[in-house]
Amino acid sequence: MWSIFILIFLTLCAGIGGWLLFLWAVKSGQYDDVERPKYRMMDEDGNEDKNGNRNDGKI
Amino acid sequence: MPICDHCLLEFPGREAVHVEVNGQKKVFCCHGCNGIYRLINDEGLSDFYDRRDSWVPGPADDKPVDIAAFNENLRQAGNEIETDIVLDGIRCASCVWLNEKILLKTNGVTYANVNYATHRAKVRWDPEKASIDKIVERIKSIGYTPKPFVAKAYEMEMEGRRKDLLLRFGTASFFSMQLMLYSVALYAGYFQGIDKETKNIFHWISLLLTTPVLFYSGMPFIKGAAGGLRHLNFNMNLLVATGAGSAYLYSIHEMFSGGKVYFDTSAMIITLILLGRYIEAGAKGKASQALTHLLSLSPKEARRIAGADVNTSLRSSESIPISSIKAGDMIEVVPGEKIPLDGTVIEGSSEVDESMLTGESRPVSKAEGSDVFCGTQNLYGNFIFRVKRAAGDTVLSQIIKTVEDAQARRAPVQAAADRVVGIFVPAILFLSLVTCVYRLSNGGPATEAVMNAVSVLVIACPCALGLATPLAILAGTANGASKGILIKGGDVIEKSRDIGVVVLDKTGTITEGHSVLSSFHGIGIPDETALCLAASLERLSEHSIGKAIVGAARGLKLHDVTDFKAYPGRGISGGINGKGVLIGNRTFMTSYGIDIAHDDELLNEAGSRESTGATVVYLSYDGKLAGTFSVSDTVRKEAAEVIQMLKHNGLDVVMITGDNLKTATAVSREAGIDTVKAQMSPVEKAEEIRHMQEKGRRVIMVGDGINDAPALVQADVGIAMGRATDIALESSDMVLMRNDLRLLPDAVSLSKKTFSIIRQNIFWAFFYNAVAVPLAVLGILHPIVAAGAMALSSLSVAGNSLRLTRVNKASL
Repeated sequence: MWSIFILIFLTLCAGIGGWLLFLWAVKSGQYDDVERPKYRMMDEDGNEDKNGNRNDGKI
Repeated sequence: MPICDHCLLEFPGREAVHVEVNGQKKVFCCHGCNGIYRLINDEGLSDFYDRRDSWVPGPADDKPVDIAAFNENLRQAGNEIETDIVLDGIRCASCVWLNEKILLKTNGVTYANVNYATHRAKVRWDPEKASIDKIVERIKSIGYTPKPFVAKAYEMEMEGRRKDLLLRFGTASFFSMQLMLYSVALYAGYFQGIDKETKNIFHWISLLLTTPVLFYSGMPFIKGAAGGLRHLNFNMNLLVATGAGSAYLYSIHEMFSGGKVYFDTSAMIITLILLGRYIEAGAKGKASQALTHLLSLSPKEARRIAGADVNTSLRSSESIPISSIKAGDMIEVVPGEKIPLDGTVIEGSSEVDESMLTGESRPVSKAEGSDVFCGTQNLYGNFIFRVKRAAGDTVLSQIIKTVEDAQARRAPVQAAADRVVGIFVPAILFLSLVTCVYRLSNGGPATEAVMNAVSVLVIACPCALGLATPLAILAGTANGASKGILIKGGDVIEKSRDIGVVVLDKTGTITEGHSVLSSFHGIGIPDETALCLAASLERLSEHSIGKAIVGAARGLKLHDVTDFKAYPGRGISGGINGKGVLIGNRTFMTSYGIDIAHDDELLNEAGSRESTGATVVYLSYDGKLAGTFSVSDTVRKEAAEVIQMLKHNGLDVVMITGDNLKTATAVSREAGIDTVKAQMSPVEKAEEIRHMQEKGRRVIMVGDGINDAPALVQADVGIAMGRATDIALESSDMVLMRNDLRLLPDAVSLSKKTFSIIRQNIFWAFFYNAVAVPLAVLGILHPIVAAGAMALSSLSVAGNSLRLTRVNKASL
């Protein structure tokens, strides 16, 4: 029986944790611009190798 | 002609700037573009040219930016200064990337973030190392136009409201997810048995989880219901609030009397309806940007000429804010500048691009006595005009006001659902009252009678109702998008039922929107030679007629031109092979002693061309008339077919335009339109549509210019063509993404189809719940029936909506 109560308590904690995370995300503006992030992956700077040549991820 | 490596513009080869960058030969149209390319390259950001796709940056411009306006916006952030800047010219993610990088590489800038959706940059810098001037210069140096961000009260409110909705919906979903765990366990308990103690604990946890959903997430409904009740208005809010509230109270009562609880019903109603509202809010959010855009079109400053000096050669002018200029003041305008206010030209002449107001693609020539309008662009000449109306009364500000008013008047989104609710809610309230009275008169105990009445309310409230409209719209929108039709909100579809009239703008909608050479012939010389001479000269002109002629001469070998000169509004002159060449209208020719009037045949032909809406210009070579060219805006190939199709579907088609009646009639005849309204100002267009609406017709307006914006907003459904101006795009409800009029009938039938799905959805949302009502009336409502009704109605709505995504072109 006790194991059930412990599990219930844990799920409640996890759920409320998720909710708090969500509150933080909204308040800190994570949802303000939902268009941009999908282009972020293309924004990474190209790496420079030892000789200083730019390598933009192209082969 | 070479193409500029920075701005991708085609330009006359003789102006090319050839530069070698990193061992590669580059060509630029001007030193500005060259400068930008070098800057971007020097900063190691040349990736930009690889990653941009279809985007074309504007060419470098060197208009000064008013720094004072930015200074008002600075904020102190710790030791640093922070400000918001709106970046004009942002088209894609690469622009965002480029601006961020360039700003971050500016000495002293510590933070730069550009919001892709709002084009707003937040910049923070160390005041000792950088300044606002430097930052503005930096943005300008890569070809974007920085503008101070002025927060509009309503925009802030919209943003706040969206955030609030997200918080409420998010909270509701988190708690509802948790709640479902215990609800499923409790449902299982009804079948398999559950011990009293566990059941009790699960009840308490359910209560705990439902409370925030009802009293935080559900607060807008409760408030709305209370507000509605005060006016005896049975609205959607009341249905949600009574449904969720009664389920909650009923469950608390049952908890203590050992019965069945319906906490999940209470929470799910609120969660699903908030989800629906959130989907809608996303689509609607963009509308508010239209006004900010319109406002940004008008310049903020003008150069006023000190009154007494007008007639002397020593005249002085001062830059002052628009708001302090009064009617009667004199304003100076230089080439390339936007005209700051409405007025009448008193000195000088020029050509003005009024396409933003009239949709007319050809520049309009202005001389003493002509009227000029705020926000239009001066092209070639200097002039001085006398202000007719102060800043608040200009034609542009009237347009802004009309758009504002019309947006405020827009019907609430849920109109169709609300009508059903208006009947349904009183009926259910009545039924639950009857249940209570019936139970009491049958000698049942009072508590049981009240509980039965409440259970009627609980079972009747359809959770799926909140999803009925948004889901259908989501599916319809997805289907539209795959065809190239962008639908911007739910109300659009609701309003597009029973459409009676389709109003089409002329320029850019029925016609192609740009001039082409429709016919030409040489006089005394071969046709091709005439075209070649004219194109050689016109190549140096910026005029749209010139562009049409040059476009037609593509591939021909052109001559070199000496002594090129342009006479705005009349013609151009130059020398080819040492002989004088002139191109211009009839008066221009006459003023050079080239007589056209005696040639009857020529005049007749020119007259008949002009009556079809074309502009005729003449070419003279070595003092003799050598050719005529007629340039016109051609009717789209598909226009006649589309208009025929619309008429076939029982719609009335009307053409509305700011152009003169002669041109309008010519176009309408070709397109097969019977009703034409010509010479309409933007506000009159909207008026005209309102008249039609007052007669009980529902109106679709199709247009593409700023001049159509008020009409687009006024119409029940405004549709913008793909290449439309930003304002038209944002004032419209639908956008045809491809520049093809054939999408119009598709758009009309798609929205009709979607509307019928919405109606079916509303029916299914109520159906299962309404079927279960008799059980509640009889007092034998089993919780599994309640749960089943809830799930079935939601599934039916979702499934029915999905049908829309499979509607293909053939069945429309």
